[in-house]
Amino acid sequence: MYEAVHAHPDGDATVARHAATAARCGYDGIVVRTRDALAPAGEAGEPSDEAAGLRDEYGVDVVDAVEVDADDPTSASGAVGNYRSERTVVCLVGGDDGLNRFAVEEPRVDVLARPTEGSGDFNHVLAKAARDNGVHVEFDLGPVLRATGGKRVRALADLRKLREIVTYYDAPHVVSANPRSHLGLRAPRELVAVGEAVGFDAEWVREGLRAWGEIAERNRERRSEGFIEPGVRLGRHEEDG
Amino acid sequence: MKHLPKHLRPRWRYVAVGIETWPDAELGRRAFQRALWYAAGNLLGDAGSADADLTLLSFSHGDGIGEAVVKVRHGHVAEARAAIACVSEVDGESVGIHVRGISGTVRACEERYMGRAGANSTQRDVAFRDAERPAVVREDACDVRTESGYVGAAAFDIE
Repeated sequence: MYEAVHAHPDGDATVARHAATAARCGYDGIVVRTRDALAPAGEAGEPSDEAAGLRDEYGVDVVDAVEVDADDPTSASGAVGNYRSERTVVCLVGGDDGLNRFAVEEPRVDVLARPTEGSGDFNHVLAKAARDNGVHVEFDLGPVLRATGGKRVRALADLRKLREIVTYYDAPHVVSANPRSHLGLRAPRELVAVGEAVGFDAEWVREGLRAWGEIAERNRERRSEGFIEPGVRLGRHEEDG
Repeated sequence: MKHLPKHLRPRWRYVAVGIETWPDAELGRRAFQRALWYAAGNLLGDAGSADADLTLLSFSHGDGIGEAVVKVRHGHVAEARAAIACVSEVDGESVGIHVRGISGTVRACEERYMGRAGANSTQRDVAFRDAERPAVVREDACDVRTESGYVGAAAFDIE
């Protein structure tokens, strides 16, 4: 299972500290949402030296990602185009109807992050588009863990609505606690327990945590040298004599 | 009062909890207990909170690391785990928390999960992001003081 973290300078802990804490919590890997925190993977999708070093040190997979936080779909489109070839996982921060719409209709986006934060809304049209384009919708458990009072109630209500729509159309999803430091990181079992307490199915939450790893693996495979298109790989061939 | 016959006594599970904070945070037992009960009350409601119990049996904290044993009613461990995960702040200090394990007796809980933290922290200057900065170093963890508060780093970053 993977967790997607905000690392320094966006958060209050470095990638290494996140990796150390995640390893202790029992995660298989972390996805670093902050672009400045980790060098991008190489041309063929192999991890950068830093990510490989962290893997050796702590035994967790470190995935380079980017979180595109744009004001409108036009600038988001430019940013997605720029980062798609550079980063293993591309997330787009939603939170407004135009951006949510753009993200689910863009197959180059892997994850629509925090779709219901702010004024953003989600409906059946977006869920169908997300399913058809393979865009994972993020369920952000951060406010459930860290907010209180009315803010938390609204976040829970939004999560429930999102869950009902996404499960009905069977759109892909990811689950994360959006930790901003190693103190915000919670173990997978804890997240599953919290999910169950607020009405999620335990296995569904686990699936959402595993999905990060599946996205990373798929994208690495796509960037590897032997990849031609889904289902077609450059194999070993016989030298003709 | 005369104690209950054995089959009527409530059965308990003891949850070992590891706590992590910034090195300058002061965490009291009462404050942590209050945070735990508030978290349970807010997440599970009064009824669920009463079921789970969540009484603190032992607590220790210092130099940014701590541990606690929490008493939970048998059969409500999942809810208790969720409530414990929702403790994100105690007295305004951010808290990282994780369940180390669950035992059926206090003694087993202490023997298996407690006393791990050899909290030997030292203060020294480290090279972090092209600058010498004061930091608190504890084993692999290293909390670096910057202009905007602490930044959590690891030995990997400062080598």
